[in-house]
Amino acid sequence: MTEDDKLDATLRQMLRRSEVPVDPDVKRRSLSVAREVFEQHYSAVESGNNESSQGNRSQDELRASKVSPEGQGFWQRLRLIFGINPNQETQNMNTLPYFRYGSLATVGVSILAVALLLQQNRYLQDSQPAQEIAQSGIEEVVVTASRLGPAEVKEELASDRPLVAKRRADAQPPAVEFASAASAAQPTADRALAIAQGKPFSGADEAAGFTPRVFRDSRPEVELNEKGRDRFPTYEPNSVKLVSEDPISTFSADVDTASYSFTRRRLNNGVLPPADAVRVEEFINYFDYDYPLPREKDQPFAPSVALVDSPWSDDRLLLKIGIQGYDIATESKPRSNLVFLLDVSGSMRSQDKLPLVQRSMEMLLTTLEPSDTVAIVVYAGAAGAVLEPTPVSERQKIVEALRRLSAGGSTAGGQGLRLAYELAESQFDPDAVNRVILATDGDFNVGISDQRELKSFIERKRSAGIFLSVLGFGEGNYQDALMQTLAQNGNGVAAYIDTLSEAQKVLVEESRSSLFPIAQDVKFQVEFNPSQIREYRLIGYETRQLQREDFNNDAVDAGDIGAGHRVTALYELTPSGSSNPQIDARRYERSVRETSSSDEIAFLKIRYKAPGSKQSQLIERVISDSDRTSLVGDTAFAVAVAAFGQLVTGARYTGDFSFDDVIDLAQRSKGSDPYGYRTEFIQLVRKAKTAAAMSITN
Amino acid sequence: MDQRNSDDGSNCSLACSDAMAEPTETLVLAAQAGDADAFEQLLSDQYDTIYRFALHWTGVVADAEDIAQETCIKLARALPSYRFEASFSTWVYRVVVNCAKDYRRKGARHNAQETAGDGSDVTLDEASRSVESQVSVLETLLMLDELPDGIRETLLLVHAEGMTHEQAAKVLEIKESTVSWRLHEFRKRYRQALSDGVINHD
Repeated sequence: MTEDDKLDATLRQMLRRSEVPVDPDVKRRSLSVAREVFEQHYSAVESGNNESSQGNRSQDELRASKVSPEGQGFWQRLRLIFGINPNQETQNMNTLPYFRYGSLATVGVSILAVALLLQQNRYLQDSQPAQEIAQSGIEEVVVTASRLGPAEVKEELASDRPLVAKRRADAQPPAVEFASAASAAQPTADRALAIAQGKPFSGADEAAGFTPRVFRDSRPEVELNEKGRDRFPTYEPNSVKLVSEDPISTFSADVDTASYSFTRRRLNNGVLPPADAVRVEEFINYFDYDYPLPREKDQPFAPSVALVDSPWSDDRLLLKIGIQGYDIATESKPRSNLVFLLDVSGSMRSQDKLPLVQRSMEMLLTTLEPSDTVAIVVYAGAAGAVLEPTPVSERQKIVEALRRLSAGGSTAGGQGLRLAYELAESQFDPDAVNRVILATDGDFNVGISDQRELKSFIERKRSAGIFLSVLGFGEGNYQDALMQTLAQNGNGVAAYIDTLSEAQKVLVEESRSSLFPIAQDVKFQVEFNPSQIREYRLIGYETRQLQREDFNNDAVDAGDIGAGHRVTALYELTPSGSSNPQIDARRYERSVRETSSSDEIAFLKIRYKAPGSKQSQLIERVISDSDRTSLVGDTAFAVAVAAFGQLVTGARYTGDFSFDDVIDLAQRSKGSDPYGYRTEFIQLVRKAKTAAAMSITN
Repeated sequence: MDQRNSDDGSNCSLACSDAMAEPTETLVLAAQAGDADAFEQLLSDQYDTIYRFALHWTGVVADAEDIAQETCIKLARALPSYRFEASFSTWVYRVVVNCAKDYRRKGARHNAQETAGDGSDVTLDEASRSVESQVSVLETLLMLDELPDGIRETLLLVHAEGMTHEQAAKVLEIKESTVSWRLHEFRKRYRQALSDGVINHD
């Protein structure tokens, strides 16, 4: 056995190893789609080539369409008859687009077809629209015709019944010049003329050789693939709760912002995001609000409360609860031991993925201290460390390693994850922030593919002191739920990075927040006073709901807050005296219930754990009428963002509050906006308005 | 009958491709005459091969299924133009190779920001996907920086599908010597990478 043979044997083994058997359902579906295409395409080709019964049937179809209801759109009918799909590529390897070969016959067929259509649509009487259709129609018909193969063209050229038509004498010439073709076969041309002039189209004409080709095309299944495979967990918006029945609301903090940037990306492409991709709380938390900083470090954050009138309902109030974490001063920053875990699978190829990851990571480097260490692990077909833990003082070495990366192959996220944690462990420093930062478009196809297994792995590592942050990139197979799960279980943030400026925001401006947790397992619990409040609805946080008893259970995991992070939550409240409640009073309910006569509106409790601590601490605060304020400034902006989030998810509770109202409110309250995020938000609302209008008219 | 289930790669380099179901001429002719049942039978026999090739190509099941479906649709359209010049299985391979390449191009269309026609991206991708899963794809790719076009499909046809150089040449419509050259070129780069320590065998 030669060396070459040995190597070939190795390659063979490697290339064949990963076999996933055929999924019979998928196979069946593909076969039936192909069969449908086959049947339609086949009958079309058949009818064109001879005067078989199929051909005659197509003729009948053609004529039947003459008497089809006027309501049917011209283009729709054109497409129906000729199978025109403007997006259709002529990609059949054996049937090259023959129009490129300049066949006059093709053009002839096209003109004939146009003429026929003109007649069908009775457009001849009013020649103006006819002209327009003739002119714009030409191109489309030619597209259809080009689906014939070169062989068929030859057949036609050799045929003794060339299908050539003369353009209608009294109609204005279409954009293309066909004069020379017209002289080639006068009889056919005359016939076309006759048809075009609305004379009866007799069977004799057909027998004489006029056989319009009928092409149909159907690729609906394939079109679906273009939609990508972004995955989002489904959820229902929080419903209105009666205080008398369910006075307590419990949820976990959420400092992620991925949903907002994903939505921004969609809107910048002119489409509304899928409703499940929108998490209103992540929209709200995307922005900075000027909350009072906590005075002492013992209590890592101070709650701030505001009670305002709802801009979308006269009968309701909005309660805003915000917390601001204290910020770590640069000098007291703990050391960082970071491992970048980068997805370099084939799907990361595009400009907004790996190249953006590379630049983002370079940005992050600028925020680190020389003594911090960075390692890089990549995963694709297999995982590998491309950079051993290296102090940031050797910046050039890190940057070079980053720049060498390129994308390709399938994804073995699980394997890469293990390796990344091993490296983080090798450099583990109990006083440092030990964190794995995963950058991916969400593919975890190979490796630990069981999500539960993945989750418990990350949980175990978290309790050992290594945290995980997830940075999402790109579109097409973004797996939102998976990313969230990973970050939530790893005590980290999940951010979605769509542009370099977002990378700047997440990795530079907020690097301390995302790197240094100041409070872990932050939970909120609000108890409403039934004598003051009749109904409440938490806006957003659907995926962060906790059971009432989870609040005091320190074993239940919740969201973490990093240095300088802010968390904002909004409730919509119906005061108990309201004349317009959303839920009717119960007929058999005792009208007088024993409730505290207190004029407190609600009682807010927040639990958190100091980093590394197992025991939670409690912050409490009464919410009363003294928290009432007018709808201005940061609160107003947060409300505008909340309204926007609800509008793009169906506007179930926002009445006739419109995108314009959101813009108004945001304009008034955007303040100094040093980084331009709020201005960008307003632009985004405008885009959403357009996209929403489009989706209605379509 | 498709018997290409053994994938140990030990001694079936020739047998594998021969085992690919070669349909009877009658069946192909019946399908060409417009018999949808015959067509479905034909396709059903070829599907597993199509899918497997696509899977080797992408390494991602969902993508492989998409490619397989597009191949089926394309076969439905192209069947009339099959002229028995090559064996039917060769012709099917030719279609699936093209579909796989198209699929990648389409994938690139998902993102508007993608720099169109950036040749270097394509080459890298080509390299990476040719050796899938078990070789460190990334590392192979790193060393195979300027891997010439066409190596990926050649590699897959010969090593994963077990074709002879002659068979692969027919599918790709290239000279046999080009197949040999491409394989040689890959071996050379692979060895270089091994000696540079960029890859290691496990």
